[in-house]
Amino acid sequence: MAKKENMFEISAGEPVGVIAAQSLGEPATQMVLKAFHFAGLKSEIATAGLPRFVEIVDAKKKPATPFTYIAVDKSIAKDEQKLIRLAKKISEIKVSDISRRIVEEFSKGTIILRLDFEKLEANELTAKVVASKIEKLTKLSCTLEGMDVRITAGTRNIKQIRNMAVQLNKMTINGIDGAGRAAVREDPKTKELQLITDNSSLSGLLDVEGIDAYNIYTNDIFEEYRVFGVEAARNAIITELEKLLHESEISVSRRHLELLADAMTADGDVKNVGRRGLSGEKESVFARAAYEETVKHLINAAAFGESDPMQGVTENILMGKQIMLGTGRVELAVKKEDIAKSKKEKK
Amino acid sequence: MAKNEEKCIVYMNGRILGYVKDGVAYANEIRKGRRNGLLSGEINVSYVNKLNEVHINADSGRVRKPYIIVEDGKSKLTEELLVKLRNKEIDFGYLIRRGIIEYLDAEEEENTDVAMKESDITKNTTHLEVDPAGIFGFTLSTAPYLEHNSAPRHGMSANFIKQSQGVFATNFNLRFESRSYVLFYPQAPLVQTSVYKSVGMQRHPSGQNFVVALSTYYGYNMGDAVVVNKAAVDRGLGRSMYYKMYADEERRYPGGQKDSFKIPPATAEGYLGEHAYAKLGDDGLIEPETKVLEGDVLIGKVAPPRFLEESIGESGLQEKLRDDSSVLKPSENGVVDSVIVTESTGATRVVKVRVRGLRVPEVGDKFASRHGQKGVIAYVVPQEDMPFTEQGVVPDLLLNPHGIPQRLTFGHLLEELAGKSAAMTGKIVDGTAFTGKGSDRVEEYGKILESFGFNKMGNETFYDGITGKRFKATIFNGLVYYNRLYHMVSNKLQVRSKGPVQILTHQPTEGKARQGGLRFGEMERDVLVGYGASLLVKERLLDQSDKGTVLVCKNCGNIGYRDYIKRVDVCPICGGSDLAAVEISYAFKLLLDEIKSMHIFPKIKMKG
Repeated sequence: MAKKENMFEISAGEPVGVIAAQSLGEPATQMVLKAFHFAGLKSEIATAGLPRFVEIVDAKKKPATPFTYIAVDKSIAKDEQKLIRLAKKISEIKVSDISRRIVEEFSKGTIILRLDFEKLEANELTAKVVASKIEKLTKLSCTLEGMDVRITAGTRNIKQIRNMAVQLNKMTINGIDGAGRAAVREDPKTKELQLITDNSSLSGLLDVEGIDAYNIYTNDIFEEYRVFGVEAARNAIITELEKLLHESEISVSRRHLELLADAMTADGDVKNVGRRGLSGEKESVFARAAYEETVKHLINAAAFGESDPMQGVTENILMGKQIMLGTGRVELAVKKEDIAKSKKEKK
Repeated sequence: MAKNEEKCIVYMNGRILGYVKDGVAYANEIRKGRRNGLLSGEINVSYVNKLNEVHINADSGRVRKPYIIVEDGKSKLTEELLVKLRNKEIDFGYLIRRGIIEYLDAEEEENTDVAMKESDITKNTTHLEVDPAGIFGFTLSTAPYLEHNSAPRHGMSANFIKQSQGVFATNFNLRFESRSYVLFYPQAPLVQTSVYKSVGMQRHPSGQNFVVALSTYYGYNMGDAVVVNKAAVDRGLGRSMYYKMYADEERRYPGGQKDSFKIPPATAEGYLGEHAYAKLGDDGLIEPETKVLEGDVLIGKVAPPRFLEESIGESGLQEKLRDDSSVLKPSENGVVDSVIVTESTGATRVVKVRVRGLRVPEVGDKFASRHGQKGVIAYVVPQEDMPFTEQGVVPDLLLNPHGIPQRLTFGHLLEELAGKSAAMTGKIVDGTAFTGKGSDRVEEYGKILESFGFNKMGNETFYDGITGKRFKATIFNGLVYYNRLYHMVSNKLQVRSKGPVQILTHQPTEGKARQGGLRFGEMERDVLVGYGASLLVKERLLDQSDKGTVLVCKNCGNIGYRDYIKRVDVCPICGGSDLAAVEISYAFKLLLDEIKSMHIFPKIKMKG
């Protein structure tokens, strides 16, 4: 058993990074062709294939199609009506979702919000509720005139009024900030009812009554990083990549993904793989200059009098030295001459 | 703009001409004028519905195509006219002048409803295709049964036809093309099309009818590889001649100097050695029918030196000369076919030498049928080892059957069947696209084959040439017109061990013409790094590339040099003389130089 285990052990000097890069890079080239082959339910059309791969590796702040699966407490898990109510409670409704237009009256110092009756109906809201909510959020006096909400800005400064109008448009009237629209769906695996949203707001959702905070899943890596920390982000990167590769019917050893995720999160921060992340923070001046923005790196190195330790692969190949990986990793601890010298001294 | 909202803008060759009220009626009026001869037939007009604009085009460079005009659901090319056309009472020009056929450009086509066949005509039809096969281009139209092949293969097919070797011009013996290929025994295809016949391609064909069997052969024809019969090759199958022309001119230079054709004197700069000029005549030109090998001089020429100072020799009388002979390119050989001496427009003597080389099909040469089915010879099999039929027929070429279903080139199979029946009857078969139903054709050819005692589907019993055993399955075989393409290994083969390097980087040159190496690129490097083969990386990228030894100052870290007169190493920056010899990539030295040029001062620190 012990022998078998040793067989799988990586030898010293094995260039694991290069192997991981090749193991991930090769299937990535194949994914270009497959990018549009996946479709699902309307709510489940998520970025897949190469675009999603690029998104993860580039450590984009927000995925192109964020979503969250929310499991609910066992007590209400069977009651679809309760779930629908919960979904309504979570669903984020912004002013722009229910209004037709916003009119700014600079001379009077007021902003008029024209509400859309049909949209209000659809969201089970009334003009009254909206007006009181805005009053509460902005702490400005609001008067209701039919379908119009008149907000007294308390200033006649054009810039301030414009800013207010812009902010008003983004204001959340109902639901959780950044949670997106929620809907009820059935988990295809467990056949249990759960909620799905088209955005991610873990911090807001965790406090909502009735949801199972231990069983929330989101594809937004940065949201996990903000709420749960780097370790969670690292795991999220791995699960997201694994899911993606599984969908694309590509099998890559998990170790490669782990190595990539580790490299991206090693500093306690989620870094991308590129000029502003991993590659841009290499120690060697030559290695950085060989990648991108050659002149910038050389000039900065000159300005700060940097010296290149010549420990990496790129810079040693550049100079024509043996690389310090694989067979080049090993060095003699004691040199031949030193042995001869010590022998002489003994004598 | 509001003023013109209901008005339709008329553009003439892209410029605004004016406005009309009803664009459709206006465009129709122009068409009417064109058809009855009031306007030139070269005018095209289109009404753009989306923009409510009329575009009239009468400029050059539009691709146009003829269509039969349809009016009131009836083709204007009546039976009566067709009879007259057949009797040669009228011609195509008559039909155009009478407004029966008109040419449309791409833009006007947008306004039409074209019927493919006369039976497809409806109330709304405006035009009728002259021939449904007209959707194919000229080159492709020479290939048969196009309607049975998949669209991507059409593009490939047309490309291969263009690349085929044949008789490109009947006066090829008098021509001096920079390079040309002439097929030895060209044959007209057994399956032809109307376009093929009407352009007279039978008189200078570009391929041969191969006996093809759809069979594997011991793994030699996997993928797109093909196996050919050696006996057939020896009989002249696919054999061709390759002609290459070398030309030179006695140029005149300012200052009265002049090139001259002659065997260069041994004192000339760049003299190639006596043996290189051995085959030249007294006039410095090679004789026709001389066998020439790589490195042989074809045209001996001396030119005045490149720079003025050199021309004034020490004695002042004897001028130094430069050898500027034309040498046979590396890895080429053949026989001098023809040598001509003429004069250029500038009244200088011009010599053209044409070298010919035999190109017998060999492993690596490329062939293609007219259905986008290409293949490379992987094995030239001795006839006795080829499979043979009961009658003793041995195929010329074995094509792997796996190449057919995936690529959907059923035209290839149909041609095979038609070719076989044509070979039996001795009559050429017509394979023009859309002239018959596929199943009818199979039946027709099958009947002919049956009447000659063959299986109607073209299958035959075969025996293995090596074991003599009968194959359990019958094998489909027939005749297919194959083209030999001009991609031949003997013109592409290239090797390098040591050779020329680039001046700037000291790295090996690139390309066959410069005896170059093959690039060991970034990704290849990554593979070696991935294996941890550190010394192999160094060997490829340094020792076998641009290795150089430089002297590095131990004191200041700059690159110095050795003063061979004083026998000391010198550092030009700090003036020190303690320098170490270091092996680095020459490209790295260049990088250091370039960094210095941008006012950055790099220093090399050394261990110990």
